[in-house]
Amino acid sequence: MRKYSFTLNNEPVVVKAPPAYTLLEVLRNVLNLTGTKDGCGKGECGACTVLINGKAVNACLMIMEQVEGSDVTTIEGLATDPLGSVVVRAFEKEGAIQCGYCTPGMIVSSTAFLSRNSKPNIEETKEFLRGNLCRCTGYSKIVKAVIEASRG
Amino acid sequence: MVTLYDVDVETPRSLEDALEKMEATRFRVIAGGTDVIIQLKEGTLREKKLLNIYSLGELRYIRQERENLCIGPLTTLSEIAASREINEFAPMLAQAAEKIGSIQITNKATIGGNIGNASPSGDCIPPLYALDARIVVKGKGSKREIHIEDFFTGYKEFDLRPNELITEITFKKMTQEEDSIFAKHTLRLGEACSVVSVAIWINRGNRRAEIVDARIALGGLAPTVVRAHKSEKLVKHELLDQNRITIASEAVTSSISPISDVRGTSDYRREMAVNLTGSCLYELLARSQENR
Repeated sequence: MRKYSFTLNNEPVVVKAPPAYTLLEVLRNVLNLTGTKDGCGKGECGACTVLINGKAVNACLMIMEQVEGSDVTTIEGLATDPLGSVVVRAFEKEGAIQCGYCTPGMIVSSTAFLSRNSKPNIEETKEFLRGNLCRCTGYSKIVKAVIEASRG
Repeated sequence: MVTLYDVDVETPRSLEDALEKMEATRFRVIAGGTDVIIQLKEGTLREKKLLNIYSLGELRYIRQERENLCIGPLTTLSEIAASREINEFAPMLAQAAEKIGSIQITNKATIGGNIGNASPSGDCIPPLYALDARIVVKGKGSKREIHIEDFFTGYKEFDLRPNELITEITFKKMTQEEDSIFAKHTLRLGEACSVVSVAIWINRGNRRAEIVDARIALGGLAPTVVRAHKSEKLVKHELLDQNRITIASEAVTSSISPISDVRGTSDYRREMAVNLTGSCLYELLARSQENR
């Protein structure tokens, strides 16, 4: 076990974990932040998407030794984020949710996307969200929600 | 899948520190780790000692040095895809990096990792063959510069000693007279490993219709990425037209030895290699006609 210090949702945290434990395991099992979902565990489904220094990455492929010192934002942190909360409301409004398992990852990725492209079109949105799978196949409402969020 | 509770990880403070550690201990090096971590979790890789070089900022850069472009191996694929220099001086490499996987993967995966993973379907590798790139490797007190075709020696095998790290990727910047294209065939759009990939570089000389020089590199069709030398000869010093494109793209079959696997049979791969090469040459032809 080693100690790791990083910023989590704008608060400094220190956790103890084995060095190759993934950020996903630490978020869910050590810090009890279960909003970040464990889907495939191998970087294919995007359910565990978090922001590291503002960029979307898979928490299941980020080992703690790589997290040390970085700035991590999870779905829980987006609740109070100006852009994140707009995305959450747009998902609610459009009903862009079925079983809900992919939703946190979709919202985190969509927030990263909109922070770089404030007026996206449908094609750009689909292209950016290609690493987030929705096995209910509810993609059209998700894409609509992202466009809706970009309109404020 | 297993939890990696018993895997030890060391994170060096600098390149020098990393090379020092590698003298003393045999490590599996991880950069972005988007392949290594999966292999460890699935148990196909059983290494218990990792050297995490991911945070070595000194190996993360894109810079111009006279006629060359130099890339630090820890530059992420999304940085490469977005780089103004790479889009201007090696556009096919930017194209390959952008389409290699999801946004989440390209934000973490590195070009050095794509080389060091040495998959024959690693998408950055055909563009580097077509750019005639060189790989710089360093050990403690040693430095070697290896031509990319000599670097890869077999299926997932390459010329890198256990105490060495890839420290730079370098190639000549493309000029106005040159053009390039990368294309891959996958079984679905996005987030899929290449079945076949093609990277083509051409030099038109003084904006003439004739091709002065060409390099055609093919991925996923042999134990390593290969150059299609016969096809290159067939397009050199020729006016590119429909007939020439057909002859040259059919000739790629003499340079490849595809296998059958989950993503396709060898016959399928052979046919896709011909078609993909042909469509890339057509695209280059179309572009040259637009510019004339």
